[in-house]
Amino acid sequence: MAARWTSAIAFLLGWQLVTLVSTRVPSPVRVLEFLWLEVSGGSHGGVVRGEFIEHFLGTLGRYTIGLVIGFTAGLLIGVLIGSSSLARALASDTILVLLALPAIVWAFLTTMWFGIDVKAPIVTVALSAFPFVVVNVAQGVRSITPDLRRMTAAFGVERWKQFRYLTLGAISGYVFAGLRFAVIIGWNGVLLWEWFAGQNGVGFRTRYWYDANRYQGFVGWVVAFIVFIVLLDRFVFARLERRAFRWRDRATDVEIIEETTMGL
Amino acid sequence: MARTVVEETLEERVLGIAAGARRRRYLAVVVGWAGFLVLWYLVSEFLLNSVRLPQPQRVAREAWNIIRGVDGAFFPEFWASIVRVFAGFIAAALIGTPLGFLMGRSEYWRNFFQAPVVVAGSVPGITYAVMSLVIFGISFFGPVLAVGLISMPYVALNVSQGVAGVDRQLVAMSVAYGRSERQIFRNVLLPSVLPFIFAGVRLSFSLAWKVGQLTEVFGASRGIGFQIRRNFQLFRMAELLAWVFLFIAFMLVLERQVLVRIERRLFRWRQWDTP
Repeated sequence: MAARWTSAIAFLLGWQLVTLVSTRVPSPVRVLEFLWLEVSGGSHGGVVRGEFIEHFLGTLGRYTIGLVIGFTAGLLIGVLIGSSSLARALASDTILVLLALPAIVWAFLTTMWFGIDVKAPIVTVALSAFPFVVVNVAQGVRSITPDLRRMTAAFGVERWKQFRYLTLGAISGYVFAGLRFAVIIGWNGVLLWEWFAGQNGVGFRTRYWYDANRYQGFVGWVVAFIVFIVLLDRFVFARLERRAFRWRDRATDVEIIEETTMGL
Repeated sequence: MARTVVEETLEERVLGIAAGARRRRYLAVVVGWAGFLVLWYLVSEFLLNSVRLPQPQRVAREAWNIIRGVDGAFFPEFWASIVRVFAGFIAAALIGTPLGFLMGRSEYWRNFFQAPVVVAGSVPGITYAVMSLVIFGISFFGPVLAVGLISMPYVALNVSQGVAGVDRQLVAMSVAYGRSERQIFRNVLLPSVLPFIFAGVRLSFSLAWKVGQLTEVFGASRGIGFQIRRNFQLFRMAELLAWVFLFIAFMLVLERQVLVRIERRLFRWRQWDTP
């Protein structure tokens, strides 16, 4: 516990030190001042009004829709690939390429395809998240050993019960792991799209302050979107994932750190 | 002892089945790729117009042009990107290794670094790109910082596990034989830990490449990411896709062929499997 606090304080001190050396990096205090003005709708330098909620909600809308689409598609394809070795052999190289494509490429492609239209960020999020969900769900389906299946069949368990207790139970942890990846990567995707082609939203606003050379604004928004995704990941999805995986033996400390750093 | 007929036929049959399965798998992979290309061709021909999604053959032609060096040559740009990524990995190794040592040996330091390591793994890639942008502007060091930051947690974690696994008896024996601290470090600890450093680099390899490219897209004047952004701004889809595919092919080949081999050699002295 003490170590965590010391860590946070050390980070802030380090940031302040960097501020002393660099002319570009704003200090933590200025960033907080900026955020306060932005969130409360105060005016920056008497010229620009602070805007926060409208941008956040705009981004959240596109992000959520894209996430739902990407996750659902990934779930279906993942089950397909996990169940059939033919499907796996056919699709595995394509999925590999999709995994290796940086999200920025999707942002550029969708802008070229759809222009400045809400479809573009939604498709960016969906396509960025999709391969990660597929890979995780496929792994989950493959983890159901044939022995377990034979045993349930031998005990005469009805098919729907088999599905509910064996299949769903076994893959639920993997589904949540895939969902966590999707959440993080999808957020990355929507921010990237908004930076390059958006008219409003978190990514757009971040760029707005960067273009204006007001780095406290730029860093302030960066802090805001980092805090959002870290809180979302740690307090919502990590918990869900751990609950879904609780039938497994308890992971050691290092393994938990490893699992949580698999992000991006 | 002479092999029995039964053993021989069994072995033949097993090898035959394995070869058949391998052949079937290659076939499926080829069919998969063919299907992907056909689908692409159909979509670009009939669904979207060919400005929006150029046909596969156009992209292939552009890729060939790039390799030949017609407009934005392949090797200088790739070299520029590689140098940055490589420098980033070195930075990650230099910082991650002592971190890993600390984390592996002490509960306190593991807790101290747990939060930053976890956060470093879950922030979006754009964060590293923009952070480097603020700190360095448009510069060589931007991608270096981004790659370093993203690989560092992997290196630290792997090293911390490697440190925990160092054979204490080896160390005790070295001490008993009167080896100095320095010799023990150089001949026992370092070789034990080196493969783990490498494993950390390899695990984060594709991630680091992607973040490096992203940083280049934001703020670089050379490199693959820069070319991608340039072609986006010029609205040249075929060239953009060509650069992207070359980048992916290159990255996959590098990871699978080169890195895996090096790692296997580094781990050779161990008799059990790699992490």
